[in-house]
Amino acid sequence: MQKDIIIVGGGHNGLVTAFYLAKGGFKPLVLERRSVVGGAAITAEFHPGFRCSTLAHATAPLQPAILRDMGLARHGLKMTQPDVRVFSPTPDGRALILYGDAERSSAEISKFSAKDARKYPDFQKSLANIADVIGDLLTLTPPDIDHPSAGDLWSLLKTGKKARGLGRRELYQLLRWGPMAAADLVAEWFDTELLRATIAARGIFGTNLGPWSAGSAMTLMLRAACDGEACGATWFAEGGMGAVTQAMAAACREAGAEFRTGAAVAQIRIKDGAATGIVLDDGEEIPARTVISNADPKATMLGLVDAQHLEPGFLGKIRNYRTHGTLSKLNLALSGLPKFTAAPDEAALRGRIHIGPEIDYLERAFDASKYGQFSEKPYLEAVIPTLTDSTLAPAGKHVMSVYVQFTPYQLRGTDWDNQRDNLADTVVKTLAEYAPNLPGMILGGQVITPKDLEQTYGMTGGHPFHGELSLDQFFTMRPLLDWARYRTPIKGLYLCGSGTHPGIGLSGASGANAAREISKDLRK
Amino acid sequence: MASSTNYDVIVIGGGHNGLVNAAYLARAGKKVLVLERRHIVGGAAVTEEIFSGFKFSVCSYVVSLLRPEIIRDLDLPRHGLEILPLDGTFTPMPNGDYLWRVNDHAKTRREIARHSRLDAEAYDDFGQAMLQMCRFVKPILSMVPPDPYTLNPRELMKLLFLGRRFRDLPSGDQYNQVQLMTMSAIDFLDQWFETDVLKATMSASGIIGTFLGVRSPGTAYVLLHHYMGEIDGAFRSWGFARGGTGAISNAIADAAREAGAEIRTKAGVARIIVKDGKAQGVVLENGDEIGTAIVSSSVDPRNTFVKMIEPENLPDEFMEDINRYKFRGSSGKVNLALDGLPDFSCLPGPGAHLRGAISISPSVDYMERAYDEAKYGRYSRGPYIDMVIPSLTDPSLAPPGKHVMSCFVQYAPYKLTEGTWDEKKEEFGDNVINTIAAYAPNIKSLIVGKQVITPLDLEREWGLSEGNIFQGELSLEQLFFLRPAPGWAHYRTPIENLYMCGSATHPGGGIMGASGRLAALEILKDYKAGKA
Repeated sequence: MQKDIIIVGGGHNGLVTAFYLAKGGFKPLVLERRSVVGGAAITAEFHPGFRCSTLAHATAPLQPAILRDMGLARHGLKMTQPDVRVFSPTPDGRALILYGDAERSSAEISKFSAKDARKYPDFQKSLANIADVIGDLLTLTPPDIDHPSAGDLWSLLKTGKKARGLGRRELYQLLRWGPMAAADLVAEWFDTELLRATIAARGIFGTNLGPWSAGSAMTLMLRAACDGEACGATWFAEGGMGAVTQAMAAACREAGAEFRTGAAVAQIRIKDGAATGIVLDDGEEIPARTVISNADPKATMLGLVDAQHLEPGFLGKIRNYRTHGTLSKLNLALSGLPKFTAAPDEAALRGRIHIGPEIDYLERAFDASKYGQFSEKPYLEAVIPTLTDSTLAPAGKHVMSVYVQFTPYQLRGTDWDNQRDNLADTVVKTLAEYAPNLPGMILGGQVITPKDLEQTYGMTGGHPFHGELSLDQFFTMRPLLDWARYRTPIKGLYLCGSGTHPGIGLSGASGANAAREISKDLRK
Repeated sequence: MASSTNYDVIVIGGGHNGLVNAAYLARAGKKVLVLERRHIVGGAAVTEEIFSGFKFSVCSYVVSLLRPEIIRDLDLPRHGLEILPLDGTFTPMPNGDYLWRVNDHAKTRREIARHSRLDAEAYDDFGQAMLQMCRFVKPILSMVPPDPYTLNPRELMKLLFLGRRFRDLPSGDQYNQVQLMTMSAIDFLDQWFETDVLKATMSASGIIGTFLGVRSPGTAYVLLHHYMGEIDGAFRSWGFARGGTGAISNAIADAAREAGAEIRTKAGVARIIVKDGKAQGVVLENGDEIGTAIVSSSVDPRNTFVKMIEPENLPDEFMEDINRYKFRGSSGKVNLALDGLPDFSCLPGPGAHLRGAISISPSVDYMERAYDEAKYGRYSRGPYIDMVIPSLTDPSLAPPGKHVMSCFVQYAPYKLTEGTWDEKKEEFGDNVINTIAAYAPNIKSLIVGKQVITPLDLEREWGLSEGNIFQGELSLEQLFFLRPAPGWAHYRTPIENLYMCGSATHPGGGIMGASGRLAALEILKDYKAGKA
């Protein structure tokens, strides 16, 4: 059975690519190794009667174009966002609460510092302006540096014009902020440590960077580019993040894409430098003219392609592509709603709960990971989705989903199988400092370590973004310089996952950009 | 300009950049006066006899970055500059082994092969790649940074020039260049090498003078910056000036004087006189006023704009940028007068390994932990130390049989969380000596004199704000067209006739002299255009 197009992996980017290709009249077949599509955006029962977003638990808004084109609302997706964006408590019982509305956030900040409260709306505005420029870059195919096409130049010129439109001051700010440390960036604006830490955390989430690492300001700006908010958007999908990918899958089917789950690709067949199909792990071969991989660049080029088809220089570079994951996840089934000492009411807990009250706290959490350990006081980002979504747990009971950083993929002197329980204890102990009654409410849970991210979800090095988001792995360098345009040295083999530009969060932009480039080639 | 002015240009500060600036201006026929606060010229490039018979390169202690065009234009060898070779880096290890790299390539290869055969092979490729990168960056060091906002055709040509140069690089070099500009020294080196001590000791040049760790993104660039040593045209060779680092400043001062410049020491400037938005002269600390058409300041931006100029003369936005310009000094110095030579347990006896740099950088973790301590406001208990014993190469620096040893120490954060630098100075010095003694146990018995220089000393005595040896951190957001402030990277300032010519301007850092020279060329350009 000759297939035109095979997509390896049914994560959200693979689905977006499948949709746009199907809509363009092609007939892609999506092969997913697991029993459900969705990659890192899935909902699963982790304790009898309790479901939650297994990995990604909240998101920036999906790209409006993707939402619209795929008709996700029509396919049953309901996205909601509470007014509270983030609740950030301190161990001594104070809390900073930030809202989507900058004025309302200012009012909260004024409890700490009148000066910071005055500056917050300006900060928000400045970020939004810069985000507007970077936002354009996200939907752009990175230009070919050696032979830029007229189209490349035109898009760059447009972005350049827009950047100039920022005015001298803000343009310089954009250039200056890019390589800075997030800690320096927030210190330029604010005096309140808690506010600094809460915002700087956006620059380190999911990365192998501490707030003092140069370049973390860039990650912060990228995130702001996705949502235009200083403190970050907190969109939930009703039914968990799996609802997003389920709706996407429905849209794909409607457009004519086919799916096979439980179909693990073992190898990409290559002849004379061109992809000719794939081999499944049970030996079945499916020929295809075009193979698109939603797996990360390393898993694809080193795991699925035989090294003999790649030149050593390329192989060396792809091996050096950095995928050192530091993120873990703890999902808890709770018998009730934990009482956070610093929370004035239940509504305060509806957004993200940020544990990391000081820049130094976050930095120390990072320090431990450099030496192959995880900190006794980790940086946490938790959500209690059951506060706004009753479908996830029995009445009166709750689910808490907690991201944990920094937990290095490579532990020293031990391994994750031995440290799994220890990690869970550390997280619960840390949470208990802010919500003392939490430990007594735990009915069950699930720990997902970086090793699990790799083994179960196929992310090399346990990196949630398919590779570190750092300046040298961004835009025209994602995943590699010369190979940032979704193509690979193998003819007919493409990448469409998070390891390609822009590759951040659940935006689906990588998938959409890839589909655009692939369509161009297919129509040639 | 009013006829009451006595000078065409007054240069504030007689460091190497101020002197280069003065020399170029004097050679162009300008009447130049250099004002130096201390009793000798040279700034941080000075030789001082701290203990009788022992001459120290007190602060800066090796040279390699001094621009060849400056050596040529100012004819420095004729003015007494002689560079002596500094061969190799010797890194003792706690396990009794060592790593000793020298300029002799074959020898170094064999030495590295002792640790890892793969690394020995990679070392060749690495050297080649770095050479290419240096060639790419070199012209940028001699270029006035463009203004990315402007639509002025000349500036756009500069941007285009950079873009073209980049485009014309072979693909592999483009890749390396991008990595060098953005990565951490360790991430960069990890791609080439596996031997921990090799990576540790090589990464050290990526952190010198910065408040960054070897794992901090951006340090790969500083590594390149230090790779660019250029004595006699060979990249990556470092040397000593005969007579100590001060001899470099003296040679430049001599060239400046010969061209007609006047140099005054013990003449600290208290204030720059600004009238109607124009610099018109300076007031000395003793109250004397001196008129001039142009003021060219080689001291750092905080000293220039915050201390020497009344705030109402400067735009708020500019001052915001100057106030957040990062200094964050992170290093100190211990200078030792020795009765004999240190004896390293891992390679006993005197030998050629003592003639190069001796680096206490035994592992990547050691380097990173040194940084971790500094982040939280403590000096490193296990510091990175770069030592040289110049008296082995230049016997004029110490009495016969005796030696001077210079120890550059990092990290020593300017801001301590506990105590003050004056309280911690002794303890800091002792910690350095104890660290060295772990590798060379006889060191303590050799010490006949000890000078400890903390970041606070660098600030008080040498006028380097927060003790930053480069007049401001060499981090990406403070380089090129952002140095020292966005929009003010062309050596001019918001005050007419006031220029900057120190290390805080592009390219900055090290005994390079490029800032002083480029500033002089810009001043002369304005003269020609009738603007100054």
